[in-house]
Amino acid sequence: MDRVARTLLGVVVAGLCLFVFGPLLWLGAHAFVSNWTYPHLLPDGLTLRWWRVVLDDPNLAAAVQNSLTFAPLTVLASAVICLPAAYAFARHDFFGRRTMLIGLFATNAFPKMGLFATMASLFYALDLMQTVLGILIVHVIGTVVFMTWIPAAAFAAVPRSLEEAARDAGARPLRVFFTVTLPLALPGILVAAIMSFLASFDEAQGTYLIGAPDYMTMPTQMYSLVLNYPKQVAAVFSLMLSAPSVLLLLLVRRQVMGGHLAEGFQIR
Amino acid sequence: MRRPGRGFAMAMPPMLLILGFVGLPIVTAGLYSLGHFGGLNSTTAAIGQHQHEATTWWGTLGAYTEVLSNPRFRSDLAATVGVTIVSTAIVMVLAIGIALYQRFSDSALAKGLAVLSIVPMFIPVVIGSWAILTFYSGTGFVRTVLAQVGIDGPVWAYTQTAVVIGSVWTSLPFAVLMVTSGVQAVPDALIDAARDAGASRARTAAGIILPIAAVPIVIAVTFTSIGVLGSFTVPYLTGPNAPAMLGVDIANYFQAFNQPQQSIVMAFVVFALASAIGAFYVWANFRSASGAVR
Repeated sequence: MDRVARTLLGVVVAGLCLFVFGPLLWLGAHAFVSNWTYPHLLPDGLTLRWWRVVLDDPNLAAAVQNSLTFAPLTVLASAVICLPAAYAFARHDFFGRRTMLIGLFATNAFPKMGLFATMASLFYALDLMQTVLGILIVHVIGTVVFMTWIPAAAFAAVPRSLEEAARDAGARPLRVFFTVTLPLALPGILVAAIMSFLASFDEAQGTYLIGAPDYMTMPTQMYSLVLNYPKQVAAVFSLMLSAPSVLLLLLVRRQVMGGHLAEGFQIR
Repeated sequence: MRRPGRGFAMAMPPMLLILGFVGLPIVTAGLYSLGHFGGLNSTTAAIGQHQHEATTWWGTLGAYTEVLSNPRFRSDLAATVGVTIVSTAIVMVLAIGIALYQRFSDSALAKGLAVLSIVPMFIPVVIGSWAILTFYSGTGFVRTVLAQVGIDGPVWAYTQTAVVIGSVWTSLPFAVLMVTSGVQAVPDALIDAARDAGASRARTAAGIILPIAAVPIVIAVTFTSIGVLGSFTVPYLTGPNAPAMLGVDIANYFQAFNQPQQSIVMAFVVFALASAIGAFYVWANFRSASGAVR
């Protein structure tokens, strides 16, 4: 590669680095500063007192707790509801199979905000407003596409010959599923679980509409923080809110990048 | 195993959930937008203002004509479509570039770039949007750095530029994952053959890799554009008050302005646009499925 191309590549990579990480680092730095006067390159001073503000606020602590409860609960509920369907889409041929797969996609095409607005009247009628079940339904709906499509592709990718070999060796269908099919499909299911966790952890508008003010999660609390607190408090809260996701990223980068996600989005 | 009954039954739980809590609300919302105020719509209709009630058996298009002829809505629609097209174009250029670079180079830099580009997927959108707002604000990083060398930098916070930046930032990971997977799936033999025949990298990319990876690329385009089209958080936090994106309008008309019928009409306009894009996705999938050996 000649020098011009090399330099150009370096500029592009550096630019992309700044584009992705710049805002996060800039925001994160605010969590530790007393004040930052424009146009000084360095902050006026360092402090940890904003962390105290966040940790001492019972509303914020409750939001953290709610978020960490709803996200795993959503993943669990979504797995129970969707994984059998994912297996069926991969291994059975039945009436309306493809229509159903596309129907799931249609839920993505209707704008979320409009959907929540229209859902409200149904939730009033069913007495689901301000309930855990109501919030859970909103969260699970946001995960159905991930929890059905990605595991379906993972199940479909398990070689039938392996299952048949196990069956020939005398294993019963359930045993074949749990010792052969499930372990091989597990990485794909894991990716689906992570995407669902992130979707639930990120969900704000529906949760606010259904749950506020009784059930505030971290993202819904974030909206009011941004408007009502100093920038530094929101920065502290942002760091705390990003921590679980970043931890997940470090744990599962390989699986997510391994193509399971991409596989799941191609309807067959 | 070919037991159609059992497969159908296993597929039912998520389908029923979607039918009940997405399908049904959309249908009742459709009826409400046409002026039918009974049943599930009675609560909303009781508190909404400026509503158009059905005058014929099928309803009325009053709310639709009102919204579609509203100049503010028209400029918001134009802004929404504009932001969607520009953001999707930038996302696709970046994603295809990153995917091709990874295909041609085994360097650590290429791998690092791919990891870097999926980071935003793991940051909640509220945080990402707000970080971008502060980064490009009047007292943000960009202006602070430029001020050191005596340049009065641009303020992008609360402009359409910030919305595009935020949309690209949040959409990039999915597009990179989709396109990378498609590009990696192109057999080495084809690329080697092209090189042996004397084709340049650019020719190989344009003539062989990208056509073979067309379906994942189309999927990335559809999901990116549908996501930006209906987005709320990014434009709500980083964008201007006018022209606003339709996702923000839907929320404002429903809550702040108390005009739920107009809000629903806007949701259906976005839905219509998204469905048109979605049809493209379904077509691309079926075209590839019919050619594949199953």
